[in-house]
Amino acid sequence: MWYGDRVNNFQFILILLLSPLAQGIIKKIKAMMQGRVGAPLLQPYYDLARLFKKDMVIPRTASWIFHAAPYVVFSSVLAASMLVPVFSAGQSTGFLAGGGIGVSGTGDIIAIIYTLALGRFFLALGGLDAGTAFGGEGSSREMSVAILVEPSMMLAVFTAAVASGSTNLGVIAGSGSVFFSPAHVLALAAFFVAVIAETGRIPVDNPDTHLELTMIHEGMLLEYSGKYLAIMEWAHYMKQMLLFTLAADLFFPYGIAGAGAGFGIAAAAGLWAGKMLILCFGMALAESTRAKMRFFQLPSLLGAAFVLSALSIITFIMTGK
Amino acid sequence: MHPENEKYIELSAADFPRKCAEYSRRHFLRTMFAADERELDGYFRVYAVFSPMGEDRFDILTMKLREDALAYGSITPLVPAAHWYEREMRDMFGIIPEGHPDPRPLCLHGIYGDVYPLRRDVTTDDIKKSVDFSREDGYFFMRVKGEGVYEIPVGPVHAGIIEPGHFRFSAVGETIYHLDPRLFFTHKGTEKLFESRGFENGVELAERISGVSSFSHSSAYCMAVERMAGMDISPRAKAVRTLVIELERLYNHIGDIGNMCAGTGFALGYAKGAILKESLMALNARLTGSRYLRGINVIGGVTRDVFDAADDVISTLDGVKTGFKHFMEFLLDSISHIERLEGTGLLSREIALKMGATGPAARASGISDDIRRAHPHLSYGSLIFEAHTYQKGDVYSRMMVRREEAECSFSIIDSLIERRHEGELRMPAGKFPAGGSALGYTEGPRGSVFYWIKASGDGSPLRVKVRSASFCNWPLVSYAIHGNIVPDFPLVNKSFNLSYSGCDL
Repeated sequence: MWYGDRVNNFQFILILLLSPLAQGIIKKIKAMMQGRVGAPLLQPYYDLARLFKKDMVIPRTASWIFHAAPYVVFSSVLAASMLVPVFSAGQSTGFLAGGGIGVSGTGDIIAIIYTLALGRFFLALGGLDAGTAFGGEGSSREMSVAILVEPSMMLAVFTAAVASGSTNLGVIAGSGSVFFSPAHVLALAAFFVAVIAETGRIPVDNPDTHLELTMIHEGMLLEYSGKYLAIMEWAHYMKQMLLFTLAADLFFPYGIAGAGAGFGIAAAAGLWAGKMLILCFGMALAESTRAKMRFFQLPSLLGAAFVLSALSIITFIMTGK
Repeated sequence: MHPENEKYIELSAADFPRKCAEYSRRHFLRTMFAADERELDGYFRVYAVFSPMGEDRFDILTMKLREDALAYGSITPLVPAAHWYEREMRDMFGIIPEGHPDPRPLCLHGIYGDVYPLRRDVTTDDIKKSVDFSREDGYFFMRVKGEGVYEIPVGPVHAGIIEPGHFRFSAVGETIYHLDPRLFFTHKGTEKLFESRGFENGVELAERISGVSSFSHSSAYCMAVERMAGMDISPRAKAVRTLVIELERLYNHIGDIGNMCAGTGFALGYAKGAILKESLMALNARLTGSRYLRGINVIGGVTRDVFDAADDVISTLDGVKTGFKHFMEFLLDSISHIERLEGTGLLSREIALKMGATGPAARASGISDDIRRAHPHLSYGSLIFEAHTYQKGDVYSRMMVRREEAECSFSIIDSLIERRHEGELRMPAGKFPAGGSALGYTEGPRGSVFYWIKASGDGSPLRVKVRSASFCNWPLVSYAIHGNIVPDFPLVNKSFNLSYSGCDL
């Protein structure tokens, strides 16, 4: 079809536009679990609109890094979204894939994860650059967590990659080759923990706290205001949805359009939305029923995730599925 | 002249420190303060109120100081619990405790000039005139030196809607080596204001010293005035006060346990605690017209009989009691939450005792001290209950002490409602004896509350000393947090739940 390629190329727009809604849904579910009415579903959009209109307060000590960080963070997440098949994994999909980052069509999973790492690096620099204690604290904690999360995320991803014989997301998502095998379940568990850590949610970080001393992600953003804060927040919403989409692509690769599965684009997009809802609900449930972990105990949680992902890949090699 | 359980012991300035040290071995230091009594006998006086462990008596050591020789040997090196009291006297009266280990001002920040606000010849205008916001502060924080030590300044303005306070952490990585808090950012001159209002009009002021301890403050204040005037309020008024003090304890303790969940990021627990607290505060409003239990206490009794609404109390508390039981079961089953509380913010018995801890914080560290039992007042003498202690002194112990005390409050209220209470709600206030003085006290939710009042020659207030529980417990937070990690500070702080306003008079 004439419009097919274009739709494929622009599927990242869904992540760009719908990610605040996902945040709103998670917040709403959490509020309902706590017996509150909660903010409207669209509140994250209102927040972004309000922040974009506001003036900014820039710390006197801030250098160009403070100004550059929001843009780098946002564009790295946006670039990563362009490499991810949201609902369609056909050939030459993905906006950036044609530029050579992707092997054949959508992007390479390793490229995606390290594009996100670039954003994280600048986020941490931005937190440090403001020169306040809380920013530095947030950045140092973020990097400590990152060191622990990255290996388990990579290994979990490799299970899916080995199973489908490619690190290209389009191939993985379209292959349908990963089924509910022991290796698959182990990798999914590890990946879920990694997603919690990456999105700054309980038990790793508390996105709703006002207690400066306990913050990780929010600590780094503390000195940002107005437009920069809006960009940072939006990037964070996008990263969250991107990781959900990755989880869907890697571990529930059913119903992706364009890879011979025979799914229409509308049906595939609807299925994707369903997967997102389930993940939002799971995230809200996980966050409501637990307290945050003591910071020094995080290595055991993230270490456990690493062990799970390592076991998953060993299981796969031994059982072959 | 003095109430029966108060014994004044006059000492010379030379004997004072030694005697205090001797008393502190077997007595609790309840409060220590100065008064400008020049209009009575030409002297300043320092008082240290001790009470023997296990006896309903107050031994009040006192000494005279001449205006031109306002110095004495500090007792802090011998009685560490006196450290803030002596600094407070230095700020407010210019009485110098020689050899005090901490030379920094406590209550008055650098913006005040050379003025001693609580001296009787200093007017509020003098104090206002001395204020200069451009003056150099000269305050310094204690520093930890060494490789990798960095300082985290927090506050005085915080992200939450709370009062101002500055916390200076010295940390290595995430581990806290030292916390130096600086409070008293909003000094209000409450004690000075008491002096100008007359004893009867002091009740409203006492109610406003610390929001969630309004009723224990007003009760202690009324008790002091009534004891000074030799009034014995009716059993019915006493029972009303007892019941309302227990209501105040209930909503505080249950709210505090819920608030600890905010410290661990446990949203569901926090929400459940808030719901229970709200039904108690709504009950407060129905019973007294005030969610914070204001407007009931007056000198000579109470303004309304809450026993008229006993049915409402019984039915509401039945619901809350069941809810609280389930809430505690839910919390204790939530391993992720309990894990954060156990072993966090340890306060040893030794330090709690030395530094003069009070309330749930002291009892969680194994000190069996509860003013309701140590000095039976109101209806407490006829009630049977225990001081609930835990030994470990961590956040978990402080939560469990509150839980047991809340359960105890339910049964105290039940047995009060079962009985009949006779007498007038309110008796007319008599004349206040010239030069009379008395202590008033009770066990509030955060710990003991003490008032000491003294009348001048014409029966008006010469000195009203307020000692809230927070004043005793704030310095303990620094000890409890030592060796913990920075992100655990809010949790440890919440487990003490101290008031800024309550000590920043």
